Amino acid sequence: MIIAIGLITFLLRFAPLALLARLQLAGWLQQALRFVPAAVMAAIIAPPLFFAVGAPNIVPDPPRIAAAAVAALIAWRTRSTLATVVLGMLALWALQALLD
Amino acid sequence: MPQVPGERAEFIDGLRAFVPMSMSILPFGLVCGAAASNAGLTGGQALAMSWVIFAGSAQIASTQLFAGGAPLLVILATATIINLRFLMYGASLSRHFGGLSRRWQAAIAYLLTDQAFALTIVRRSTSPQQPHLHWFYLGLGGATWVCWQLATIAGILLGSLVPPSWSLDFIVPLTFIAMLVPLLSGRAMLLAAGTGGSAAVLLALPLQLNLIVAALLGVAAGVAAEKLGSGR
Repeated sequence: MIIAIGLITFLLRFAPLALLARLQLAGWLQQALRFVPAAVMAAIIAPPLFFAVGAPNIVPDPPRIAAAAVAALIAWRTRSTLATVVLGMLALWALQALLD
Repeated sequence: MPQVPGERAEFIDGLRAFVPMSMSILPFGLVCGAAASNAGLTGGQALAMSWVIFAGSAQIASTQLFAGGAPLLVILATATIINLRFLMYGASLSRHFGGLSRRWQAAIAYLLTDQAFALTIVRRSTSPQQPHLHWFYLGLGGATWVCWQLATIAGILLGSLVPPSWSLDFIVPLTFIAMLVPLLSGRAMLLAAGTGGSAAVLLALPLQLNLIVAALLGVAAGVAAEKLGSGR
C-alpha cells in the first residue's frame, strides 16, 4: 500500500515537470485542477467536526465546530499557520472545558 | 552541495525561507507519525510512509482509511485525488524548471509540497531574474524533508504517550484550515470548498468513498460556478 501510494504520488509530481515543457494541459483540465486543493481540504476538515471516531451517524461536536470557526477567523486575519494551530487548540480546550 | 557563490546564496536563502515554515511542518509530521502508529502500522512502516510518500494530507487520509478497514483500491484512489493538486503545482513549476536535467526534475518532483510550491512561486515573483531558483528550492525542500522525517519519528515514539483527551488530533484540521482559508478568494472557490466540505459530511457512501466523491463534487461546483459567472 505504502509503495503504491508513493509511486502514484511521485508520478503526479514528476509527470508535469518532465513533460509539460513540451506538452500543454487542456484548458478545461487546468481550470478544474485549480479547485482541487480547496475542495479536498474542505472535505478533509469537515467530517471530524461532525462524526465521533467510528460513529456511523452525524453527531455534531460543538466545541470542535466552534474552535474550527475561531481558527478560520484567525487564519483569515493573520495568514499564520502557527497562530492558527496554537490559538485553535487553545480555543478547543477552553470550549471543551465550558461545554462538555 | 552548491559550489558557485550565487548558487550557495540561493541554497541558504532556501534554508532560511524554511524556518517559519517549520511551524506548520513539525506539528503536522508529529500527528502523521502518531496517527500511523496508532492505526496499527509498525514504526518502520509509519516511517516508510513519510519517506516513500512524503505528502502529509495523503498520509493522514490513507492512515485513517486503513484504520477504518477500507479496501486497498479506495485508499489508492483517495490518495490519488488528494495528490492531484501536485499536477497543478508541477505544471506551474515546469515553466521555471522545465529546462533542467532529468535528475534535477526528479529531485524537485520528490520534494514537491504545498509549502515548497507556494514559497518558490513567491520567490520567483520577487526576484524574477534569479538564475539559480532551483537551488533555493533544494534548500527549502531539503530542509522540509529532514524536518518531516524527524517530526514523524518523534510522533511515532511519543504518539502513544499522549492521552486522547488532549485532542491533539485536532491539529490536523487546524493545519488544513490555515492552508485553505488563504485560497478562498472568489465565489467559485468558496462554492468548491463549501460543496466539498458539506458533501463529505452528508454523503453516507459505502467503502469510505466519501472523500473522493466529495472532492469531485466540490471541483464540479467550482467549475460550474465559474462557467455561470462568466456567462453573464
